[in-house]
This record gives sequence, structure tokens and C-alpha cells, in this order.
Amino acid sequence: MLGSVLLLVALLWYSVNLRQQDETNFLESLLLRVTGPTQAGFDRVIVGAADIWGHYLYLVDTAEDNRQLTEENRTLRAVLTQSDEVRLENERLRLLLDFKETQEIDTLPARVIAEDASSWFRTVTIDKGSVQGVVEGMSVVAAEGVVGRVVRSRPRFARVLLLTDASSAVASLLQDNRARGVCRGKGEYLVFDFVLRQEEVTVGDRVVTSGMGGIFPKGLVVGNVKSVDRQEFGLFQVIEVAPTVDFSHLEEVLVMLRGPQ
Amino acid sequence: MNRTVLYLALAGIAVVLQTVFLPVLLQGYYKPDLLLILVIYLGLHEKPLRGGLLVYLIGWCCDGVAGVFPGLNGFVLIGIFMVVRGIVARINTESSSLLLLLVVAGTVLQSVLVAFALDFFSQTARIWPQIVWQLPVQVLLNLTAAFVLLRLVVWLQRTFMPRRDLPGLRKLDRRYEP
Repeated sequence: MLGSVLLLVALLWYSVNLRQQDETNFLESLLLRVTGPTQAGFDRVIVGAADIWGHYLYLVDTAEDNRQLTEENRTLRAVLTQSDEVRLENERLRLLLDFKETQEIDTLPARVIAEDASSWFRTVTIDKGSVQGVVEGMSVVAAEGVVGRVVRSRPRFARVLLLTDASSAVASLLQDNRARGVCRGKGEYLVFDFVLRQEEVTVGDRVVTSGMGGIFPKGLVVGNVKSVDRQEFGLFQVIEVAPTVDFSHLEEVLVMLRGPQ
Repeated sequence: MNRTVLYLALAGIAVVLQTVFLPVLLQGYYKPDLLLILVIYLGLHEKPLRGGLLVYLIGWCCDGVAGVFPGLNGFVLIGIFMVVRGIVARINTESSSLLLLLVVAGTVLQSVLVAFALDFFSQTARIWPQIVWQLPVQVLLNLTAAFVLLRLVVWLQRTFMPRRDLPGLRKLDRRYEP
């Protein structure tokens, strides 16, 4: 009987409230006032606990993950660097191969393994020698141009006198107006000697080997004119040439397998 | 005999450093001349005949890896050795500052001797303008290398041979200074 009354009251309450369902009634308001702060308090506690767990207690695994990821990152970086190195070497070798295919003379690729022990001289040691057919006097080139000539040959190694050494001289000519001269090394650049004053030379002109002297074949790039000084007196101009080959980063070269003519 | 082998081993290490490792680190034509520092040290602490022969041998070996003029490095290094021997009786050979000063003077003397030997005796183009241009950087590099080597040698002595008496290092180590 009591149950039926309660059920009826509840139904009536429900049906009465259906009309004001868009408004907050007194009971709901009271409930919200009580439960809201409580829920908020619990929420803060739970969030705080989760934060402590996630950021401090659970960090035992995170530290391990972090170590693994750092290790992985380091390994990947090493692989990436190695891959970059291989890619760059590949590009350089491709250039050298393209250049090799344009040459009529047989060439032998070699790797630069050491530099001169002194700062006053410009020589390098390559990993090919008389066993591979490298003899004194052979010219050495790179894709960018002339490197130098072989001055010492041992069974497995050879030393190359670079174009920029003070004792190096190459018979050359200007590609445009064919003015002849001799390019001499000056340490980091070259001077183009014996070009007559009346020859028209401008900065940027390309200098190539003339083929005279029998060491270097004709037409190999030596460098570009860097400065021209046509002095008031004298027979010749003072011309500085910037070599096209970057001698400070020389890694692979080609030895032209033909002795001096 | 043992000291001779040690000096030759040091010369070998210097050559490897100068031809293979330092060019990679320094990226350019300049490199400190470690052999010069060794020769100055030999000049300060070795007898003329023994030291002279050793220095000439080092110079002769150096010709195989520096320049293309056989005998040049032997001449230059023996010249430096003789000059150091000539003044060794008048100076305090165990002062580290003096060794640094001698490295500076030795670098200048080396460049003068190279320029003299090449410009007067060989048919190459004049090298002295290039040497003059490079000299300040070379002096600085050699000085830095000598300073680092001094520190390194003193540290090695303190760490591994605290009771050994290495020539020239008694006063280089601050513990022995007054």
C-alpha cells in the first residue's frame, strides 16, 4: 500500500516537473550546490594523483624509454651522417667518373691519404703507386681541373706536387683569347706569368693547360682569373688566378696514365 | 739508445699527426710544426754529436713527407739545432717560457733557412713572399702547439712517472718551482 503511494507520488512529481523541465528547480539547485564543490575537490585530488603517478612514479619506465630513445636517436644520427657521407662521396665519384669518360687518356682513380708535413709546401700522398702504373711526371686531375703532377712514386703510394706549390709551373693559355703564359703556384693561388701587356685579359677569364711542356694534356681547366694588374712599365701583366680545384678539401683524384711526352 | 728510439718514435708520431690528423682538424694548409718543437727540445738537452746526427736523420725522414727537395729539411733542422746548441750555455734551459720563446724564434729561423735554401739554390719560383705571408699564422700555431705539449708532458709526468727526472721538466712542473 505504502509502496503504491510512493510510486504514485513519484509519478506525479515527475509529471508536474515535466512542464518546467527547462528550468532548474529548488532541489536540483540544492544538489548542484552540494555536489559541485565536492566533485571539483575529488577531481582535483584524482588529477593530482594521476599527475604524481604519471610524472613521478611512472617515470621509472619513462627514464628507461628515454634512455632507449636517446640511444636510438644517437644511432640514427650516426647512420644519417654516414649516409650523408656516402651520398656526398657518391656525388664526387660520379663527377669524377663523368670527367674520366670524357678523357681520351687512360686514368686511374686514387684517394688522397695524407698531406704535406710542412705548411710551406703543397704536396699530397695518394694510395696508388708504381704497382698500379703510376710513375713520376704523370699528371693528376680532379673533376674540377688540374691537381698537379706525380713527383715521387713508391710501389703502393705516390706523392703529388700540387699546382699551388711554389715549385709548380704549368704551361697555360687563356681559353678566350688564347694568350699563352705559365701558371706558377703561390701557396693558395696561382700567378699567370709572361702574358704580354697588350693582351686583353678580364677577371673571370678561364685559364686552361696549353699542352706545352708535355706534362699536362691540352685543355684541362687550371682556374679563373682573379685579378689583373697592367702596370705602367714592363712587358708583362701581373695576373692572379684562383684554381678551380679546392685543394684544402681534396679527397679523390685521377692519375692520367701517360708519362711526360 | 733507448732515448734515441724514443725520440725517433716521437718524430714518427709527429709526422703522422702533421700529415693525417691535423689537416683534418685544421682544414687548410696550416699545421703546427711538431718536429720543430722536438728539434728545439733536442737542441736544449742533447749533446751536439748525438743530437746533431739524430736531428739530421729526422730531417732526412722528413724529406719523404714534406716538400720535394731532398736534403732541405735535414739542412733546415740541423741549422736550427746548431743555433740552439750555440746559445744553450747562456740560457736557463729548464724554463718553460724560454722554450716557448725558442719555438717562436725557431719558426722564424726555419722560414729564413727554407727561403734561403730555395731562393738561392733551387730553380723554383721565389718562395719567400709566401713564407712571409704565412709566417704570423705559423708562429701562432707552433706557439700554441708548444704550450699544449708542455702542459700535456707535465701532466703525463705527474700522472705516470712522478719520480722520474725528465730533462727539462724539473722546472716546468710547478711543484719544483721556487
